[in-house]
Amino acid sequence: MEGLLFNVNNGYLEGIVRGYRNGLLTGANYTNMTQCENIDDLKLQLGPAYGDFLAALPPNPSTSSLAAKTTEKLVSEFRYVRANAVGSLAKFMDYLTYGYMIDNVALLITGTLHERDTRELLDRCHPLGWFETMPVLCVATNIEELYNSVLIETPLAPYFKGSLIHQDLDELNIEIVRNTLYKNYLEDFYRFVNSHPDMAGTPTSEVMSELLEFEADRRAINITLNSFGTELSKADRKKLYPSFGSLYPEGTLMLSRADDFEGVRLAVEGVADYKSFFEAAGLGGGPGGPGNMAGGTGSDGRSLEDMFYQKEMEIAKGTFTRQFTYAIVYSWVKLREQEIRNITWIAECIAQNQKERIGNYISVF
Amino acid sequence: MSGAGDREPVFPTRQSLGLMKAKLKGAETGHNLLKRKSEALTNPNTVPEITRRIDEAKRKMGRVMQIASLSLAEVTYAVGGNIGYQIQESAKSARFRVRAKQENVSGVLLPAFEAYQTEGNNDFAMTGLGKGGQQVQRCRETYARAVEALVELASLQTAFVILDEVIKVVNRRVNAIEHVIIPRTENTIKYINSELDELDREEFYRLKKVANKKQRDTAAADAEMKKKNAEREANGEKHKAPEVDDSTPADILQAEGDEDIIF
Repeated sequence: MEGLLFNVNNGYLEGIVRGYRNGLLTGANYTNMTQCENIDDLKLQLGPAYGDFLAALPPNPSTSSLAAKTTEKLVSEFRYVRANAVGSLAKFMDYLTYGYMIDNVALLITGTLHERDTRELLDRCHPLGWFETMPVLCVATNIEELYNSVLIETPLAPYFKGSLIHQDLDELNIEIVRNTLYKNYLEDFYRFVNSHPDMAGTPTSEVMSELLEFEADRRAINITLNSFGTELSKADRKKLYPSFGSLYPEGTLMLSRADDFEGVRLAVEGVADYKSFFEAAGLGGGPGGPGNMAGGTGSDGRSLEDMFYQKEMEIAKGTFTRQFTYAIVYSWVKLREQEIRNITWIAECIAQNQKERIGNYISVF
Repeated sequence: MSGAGDREPVFPTRQSLGLMKAKLKGAETGHNLLKRKSEALTNPNTVPEITRRIDEAKRKMGRVMQIASLSLAEVTYAVGGNIGYQIQESAKSARFRVRAKQENVSGVLLPAFEAYQTEGNNDFAMTGLGKGGQQVQRCRETYARAVEALVELASLQTAFVILDEVIKVVNRRVNAIEHVIIPRTENTIKYINSELDELDREEFYRLKKVANKKQRDTAAADAEMKKKNAEREANGEKHKAPEVDDSTPADILQAEGDEDIIF
């Protein structure tokens, strides 16, 4: 049924996005890239996929400029798709940008709190999270003005309104603010894909629910793991967990009580995927070993973070097996982001001549 | 007299000879002491030891910095963006501090830096709460180690530079004393001695001359006296003898006065 009218408005864009997906780097590409001796070789390897965007780079560019250029390509393609989107797809894509917007607003809040010139920060903002009225936020000189202008000028107002007042911006750690916003955002997005008449009951809501649930679980687990040893209390931590996902509600309740890695492992026991992640990570020492001289996880064991990324990419890849769904846009953006991360990682390994861990990228195609 | 430029501009007097001798003695004592200091500074326990440790520290720094920058890459990978600004802004007070103290190596004060971390000062503990937090913390640990290596290296390097400078100065002084001051003082002493000898010789010669002249004069006066006596005896004027006696004392006085002038 949903296939009947989908192509009227969205057929073209679905085609475009599927085309973009085919442009993603494959395992063979990555293998070639890891053989590169220097960044110029890498640039050459990226030629077919990123040609025009990398052309402007000087010989032997820095990894950060490489990352910036590859992001630029994602942004320009995203903008093209967004410009052609209508109706509920346009709204869906707006939702997609809110996540980046939260990061940008958090950045501006940080700047305002420390009384920096926030105008300089506009360059550092993520271009996907850019919104028309963002420069207006720079006019604010104190946190109260900023709070009011965020409420008026940004689409993020609903996420602020319910849970944060302007004193909170001043007093709470910016990370708590950011994660509160993100939690509200995820819940809202989840509600949106499941209740909007164009999407409810279609493959979109099905696939997006899976993706968002995974994202919610991942955040809950990460927040728990990262909060050990910080001043974040258990009650505050509980407020940052999104109220959906496969861990909700029992898992999150247990997470909120967890004191250590073991507690988290128990909490996620109910979900087979996470259980296996934790078993694998548990063998590799888990997050408890910051003192090792290798400067991170050993080359043999993958970190929990890596496994989450891997899982996310697999879900995103699976999205493309479905038709008539907006979720492919989301998946495509996520896959491209991972691709940029992979390129940056490989470039970094080549630049630093640390080939032994160059294989830590995640490739699903 | 070897090379007029190689001696000090002094008058060749006995007083300055005494001064010069004292100076030579002082220079020799100083030379000995400085020589000993220079040997103490260059002995195998200081400079080669320090160079060895600098070498070690540099290698360690290379290793640690490499690990550190890779862990930064890991953070970028995990967080998926640039968190530099956020980190900068959330850092409020230094967690990693350096204390400076002084060490005494054979009379040379060497600064030594000591790194320490203040506890319970974790300004960005919550950075990357949503994702990448573990990587951020790990990266911080690695960089703390890297900075530790740098501090150690800085301490050694400063010690090396200062020690090198001191050794150079001491050696320069030793050489200056050995090759310039001592020969010059010796030359001066030699010069004063020779001048004084010459003066002695001149004096002796002059005295001899004066004695000769005196002898000659006396001889002439004797001859005259004899002549006069002979004349008087020949004339037989015995009453005039007292007159001659009166005039002779006046003559003797005059002759003495003349001698004074010559002196």
